[in-house]
Amino acid sequence: MEKISVVIDGRTFEAEKDYCVLEVARQNGIHIPSLCYNSEVTSSGGSCRVCLVEAHQRGRMRLVTACNFPVRKGLEIKTDTPLVRRIRRGVLELLLARVPDSEVIREMAAAEGVTGVRFRKDEGENERYKCIACALCTNVCAEVVGVHAIAMVGRGADKKPATPYNKPSDVCIGCGACAYACPTGAIQLKEENGVRHIWHKDFKMVRCSVCGTPYIPEAQVDWIVKRTGKDRSFFDKCPDHR
Amino acid sequence: MGAINSIEELEAYRRELAAAAKPDLPTVLVCFGTGCQAHGSRRVAEAFMEAIKEQGLQVDVNIGFKTTGCHGYCENGPLVVLRPQDILYLKVRPEDVPEIVEESIKGGRIVERLVYRDKVTDEVVPHYSEIPFYKHQHRIALRHIGTIDPTSIDDYILVGGYAGLAKALTMKPEDIISEVERSGLRGRGGAGFPTGTKWRSCAAVESDVRYVMCNGDEGDPGAFMDRSIMEGDPHAVIEGMIIGAYAVGSHQGYIYVRDEYPLAVRNLTLALEAAREKGLLGENILGTGFSFDIKISRGGGAFVCGESSALMRSVEGNVGEPRAKYIRSVERGLYNKPTVLNNVETWANVPEIILKGAEWYASMGTEGSKGTKVFSLVGKVNNTGLVEVPMGISIRELVENIGGGVLGGKKFKAVQTGGPSGGCIPERLADLPIDFDSLTKAGSMMGSGGIIVMDEDTCMVDVAKYFTGFLVEESCGKCTPCRDGLPRMLDLLTEITEGRGREEHVAMLEELCDLLTWGALCGLGTSAANPVLSTIKYFREEYEAHIRDKKCPAGVCKALITYSIDPEACTGCRLCAKNCPQNCITGKRKEAHVIDTSKCIKCGVCKDVCKFDAVRIS
Repeated sequence: MEKISVVIDGRTFEAEKDYCVLEVARQNGIHIPSLCYNSEVTSSGGSCRVCLVEAHQRGRMRLVTACNFPVRKGLEIKTDTPLVRRIRRGVLELLLARVPDSEVIREMAAAEGVTGVRFRKDEGENERYKCIACALCTNVCAEVVGVHAIAMVGRGADKKPATPYNKPSDVCIGCGACAYACPTGAIQLKEENGVRHIWHKDFKMVRCSVCGTPYIPEAQVDWIVKRTGKDRSFFDKCPDHR
Repeated sequence: MGAINSIEELEAYRRELAAAAKPDLPTVLVCFGTGCQAHGSRRVAEAFMEAIKEQGLQVDVNIGFKTTGCHGYCENGPLVVLRPQDILYLKVRPEDVPEIVEESIKGGRIVERLVYRDKVTDEVVPHYSEIPFYKHQHRIALRHIGTIDPTSIDDYILVGGYAGLAKALTMKPEDIISEVERSGLRGRGGAGFPTGTKWRSCAAVESDVRYVMCNGDEGDPGAFMDRSIMEGDPHAVIEGMIIGAYAVGSHQGYIYVRDEYPLAVRNLTLALEAAREKGLLGENILGTGFSFDIKISRGGGAFVCGESSALMRSVEGNVGEPRAKYIRSVERGLYNKPTVLNNVETWANVPEIILKGAEWYASMGTEGSKGTKVFSLVGKVNNTGLVEVPMGISIRELVENIGGGVLGGKKFKAVQTGGPSGGCIPERLADLPIDFDSLTKAGSMMGSGGIIVMDEDTCMVDVAKYFTGFLVEESCGKCTPCRDGLPRMLDLLTEITEGRGREEHVAMLEELCDLLTWGALCGLGTSAANPVLSTIKYFREEYEAHIRDKKCPAGVCKALITYSIDPEACTGCRLCAKNCPQNCITGKRKEAHVIDTSKCIKCGVCKDVCKFDAVRIS
């Protein structure tokens, strides 16, 4: 990998070319808030706009999302300017108006000095009460898990992740990767009596032969066996007892 | 005739067509554009065919008959042009046809009641090229529209079609790119990126595959120049794309057309088939060894799919959502391959530029915006429709000379340019030249070239609310500022227009605009602030009147107006009382009437029907 030097907040760092600004900043202890970025998902990022930073290049300045802007030679990044803070605060105020019940957003907004919302707030406890429509869940499902059980449906403010026609999906394996990846905890995943409920569907869990804890949906085991050729007996025990 | 195997053969074929053509032959051109067809031009054409067939036996007049693309003067359709006399008949109905055949075709006389009559001077103008709407135009992109049959490739070849391609194929690809660069052509889709520069960047990227694309999505309400070109002169677009493909080294092209344009899809499909048959498209074009083909991709009509990166996602079969263009499409576009995407109008200009040269094209327009631009002129103006004029024409010239002035003699207030995310420019800046840079500087943009004329009865806060509402509906919802910011802007504008506006609302609007401009993901989001920003900038006093005085100066915002009857002007004719749906107008015959404002729903029917201008809005 070609190494280049990039300036972030006045300090020069060595970085691998085409790495995103966010990664390079984090590797070097510079904090840039983000919500929709996940290093495992190439198509993620760019939608929540929380990680906007100033990019100075060839005498030109623009705001770019740190999570998908590739570092290049001669690039200077400023993560803490009046403009960056103003726009970041604006984005967080809008997110707070959208999901006033989200702890994560409340805390992130408070950290930027946004404590109240001057605009109409969306009602709490509605269908998408914590969802910021960042699409990380659908990207993880498609790219990491590889099943395309959910997709972003609709457009504008009503856009949300959903299974086709909001019906139990034929292909969902109940792995819950979407719920784990969600930055605001908006995806409901419930487990009771060895059954996991997610996306309108119940999944029977495999119990660990040692401790008896239900720990993985059968459908997920089927999927992994099919994809990797791994021996099914491997899943008899939970990770703690393997 | 089958495939044309060389450039020489194409020229020979053109001479053959020219020899067979009879330019003096009387020709009836019936517009088959979408607008005229909606007005019934198909039945008019049928009536002509019938009349000609019937009378052809009696009189020795041989009549050429054609159906053409849109002439742009759609509100006066169906349009019929008679050649060689160059007479334009407006609003022709099937029952008018026998008279036209008898009087004009056989008798050489003009049917006066069907020709253009100037609304101001009352002067009768029978000849197409003398009508003010056409006289001031300079047509390049629209050069053949209305004169050729878009379903006939021979028609196109006869008027010089594919000669640009023939010339291009004798040039080096590098020289074609230079020619386009020197012409100064900038993307007609709205952003105005230099076309030659785009091609050069794409050609420079190392890749086994390159794509050439045409953006025919055209989502702006009221704009229909791309539709008109695709319907009326599809070969011009195809020829432009083949030239572009040869220049950048592409072998596969796509035309993305919104599915709401069925006639465009049909005519493009026919044109592609005809071009393939003639050896102008496909393998070994004109025997030069260069191969290139084009597919049509139909879009579902989402506004955002006109945005280049969303369009490419859509062609790939994914949901059309824009991406951050930190890596440009010329490097990684369709299927991650280098891609040149140009708009319909841009492609239609290319063959003429190659044929007539960069200097010819660059001699028109302004320093930074060369050539001509097609505008769709609509709103409160006498002549509406598609017009092509040199860049740099002033707003006033466009509205007054071509548009024939503001409708009903009202006061000209502003123009809105650039589509829903464009801005409003006030009358006092009407001498501004229309080009990419001056429109942007004024807080608006070129966009698709939509120009909406507004008169004194337009409330600018209401205008901002209207366009913001459109954008709320069409936001794809991918990024926070656009998805959640626009609805909040609409909230504030609604509060203001309904009389609940507070002093701080204007500042809050400006703040949200700032957030969109800096923070939105794609070009549509970053420009979505324009309607609000430009109206605040030029018409702040109207916002203040709504907020501070709870008044709508233009008398539009229902919550802020009351209707009353001027007792001096009222004649007591009772017309308003008869038409009032609330029955809240009372008064004896021949005595001044009164409106009971507690029951009035402000529908405005009384004002519309009053013949004495006695109904007042305050």
